[in-house]
Amino acid sequence: MTLRRPPTRAELRRQRMEELVTYPLDWLEERSGLVGGIRYFLFRNVPSDVNWMQTLGSAALTAFLVQAITGVILAMYYTPSAATDPATGKPVAYESIQNITDHLTLGWLVRGMHRWGASVFIILMFLHMGRVFLFGAYKYPRELNWIVGVLILVLGMMEGFTGYLLPWDQTAYWATVVGINLNGTAPFLGPWLAQFLRSGQEITGETLTRFYSLHMLVIPAGIMALIGLHLYLVIRLGVSSPPWSKEAAGMEPAEEEPVPARRPGLMRPVPRGAGAAAIQAEPGGRD
Amino acid sequence: MAAIPKEKPSRIEEERAQFARYKADVKARGKPFYPYAMFHDTIMSLVVVAVIIGLAAIWKWTSYGPHHDPTHPGLLGPEVTAPADPGTTSFVPRPDWYFYFLFYLLRIFKWPESVFLGTVGIPTICLILLFALPFLDRRRERRISARPVAMVAGVLTILSMAVLTWKGATAHEALASEVIADVPSWIQKEHLPPAAVPGAKLFATAGCTACHTYAGAGGSNLGAPDLTAIGSRHLGISFQIRHLQCPSCVNPGSPMPHFASLGYKRLHELAVFLEASKGVH
Repeated sequence: MTLRRPPTRAELRRQRMEELVTYPLDWLEERSGLVGGIRYFLFRNVPSDVNWMQTLGSAALTAFLVQAITGVILAMYYTPSAATDPATGKPVAYESIQNITDHLTLGWLVRGMHRWGASVFIILMFLHMGRVFLFGAYKYPRELNWIVGVLILVLGMMEGFTGYLLPWDQTAYWATVVGINLNGTAPFLGPWLAQFLRSGQEITGETLTRFYSLHMLVIPAGIMALIGLHLYLVIRLGVSSPPWSKEAAGMEPAEEEPVPARRPGLMRPVPRGAGAAAIQAEPGGRD
Repeated sequence: MAAIPKEKPSRIEEERAQFARYKADVKARGKPFYPYAMFHDTIMSLVVVAVIIGLAAIWKWTSYGPHHDPTHPGLLGPEVTAPADPGTTSFVPRPDWYFYFLFYLLRIFKWPESVFLGTVGIPTICLILLFALPFLDRRRERRISARPVAMVAGVLTILSMAVLTWKGATAHEALASEVIADVPSWIQKEHLPPAAVPGAKLFATAGCTACHTYAGAGGSNLGAPDLTAIGSRHLGISFQIRHLQCPSCVNPGSPMPHFASLGYKRLHELAVFLEASKGVH
């Protein structure tokens, strides 16, 4: 029962406030469709029994965001120069790293997070890949997303290789000398690649600026684009259910063997609701 | 049993039908990403950030923080090592830990015939297999118990990566300060002439033993050969100098670093020492 009466002043004020909030959202939606996109992203259905292991992908994304944020802060204070500072006799890049770590407010935290976040990022990518392998989630129609994921892993390791040189200390220098020489042993492309990475015959200040550019411009841009594609495909294709799932969204037994009686919960014989129509339309049907 | 279809549907038809069922099932019985799955993702992300901050704090408070020494190793390694110096090569090259498995692979293959396998061959093949996985495993089966081949291959891959990483982490490295102590025994065992002694000391301290073995000292790395009896090959002083200046110019594809920065005098000393090394008598 609704009471038919003119709205009170409080109700009118509330209505105006609501319009004030929704107006910019409606404006944005009408011109871009972004609000609908975000709404779809947030309220799309995922299988009701997704596993904790399926948070590893977003955990790796978080580690990447930590790398991006701390990397931007480090880039504000780091100087990629191998020139010797005449006052101290040390390379400028080396000094800027020491300055960040020892003298800037919370600089130790930012550099430490970037240094160790790299390891965490790599570990989480490997764990996420292991989860996808275990769940068989690389199978149709998600083959392309597996390939995109492996590309992100390769680029992530290239970030590790290029970032390792930047402190310009002995560890950095000699690991890079050997790393580049190893690339150089590849047939045909190897010597050219080694020459390109070194920017000459020897590792010099030019190698340092080259690695800095690759490390903070080229490779991160590639990773971000690929992460965007990766997420787009996850949202488009949907999150897979665990293979042991009782709900087992969309799964069916292998065609040669019927569902074993000792595993009655693995398959739902006939899903209720909208799912049923799709199943009956399936050629061959089911038992 | 239901009626057997007259024609068996092709694999792609079955895959499409299964995916259509998946979409319909999720729509009918799934739950919204927000708040359910997002709640788990958020908790996991907070754990990740906490772990990263924790590692940064352990790094500081076990090494350079309390010791006021940037090269104190602590639990997670030093803040920095000495500044990069192409001239003094007494430093043992070491990559970050997640490259250890590649690093150790290089010790398995010996220069020069098969080192290419370790540096490029096997990693490239593994990477191609990784990319191709969805096209190698084309069955629709996803249950773990019904994929024995995939599971065994996965476990073997993880085990071999773990073993290679562990071996790479614990590989014995020759330290210049330890190797220099061996020089008198080299002079005795190899009957080195006095002219070869400065070269022997340089050899012990310039980082050669990071990759090469000599009379039982040093560590084998990157497939570098043993140099105990290199002089008996009569390569000649001028060849040795040219090789040290630019190994890959003389020996195409060699991963050995250039040592031209040592200067002609020291390279000559090294060459004399190498030519005088005729093996342990």
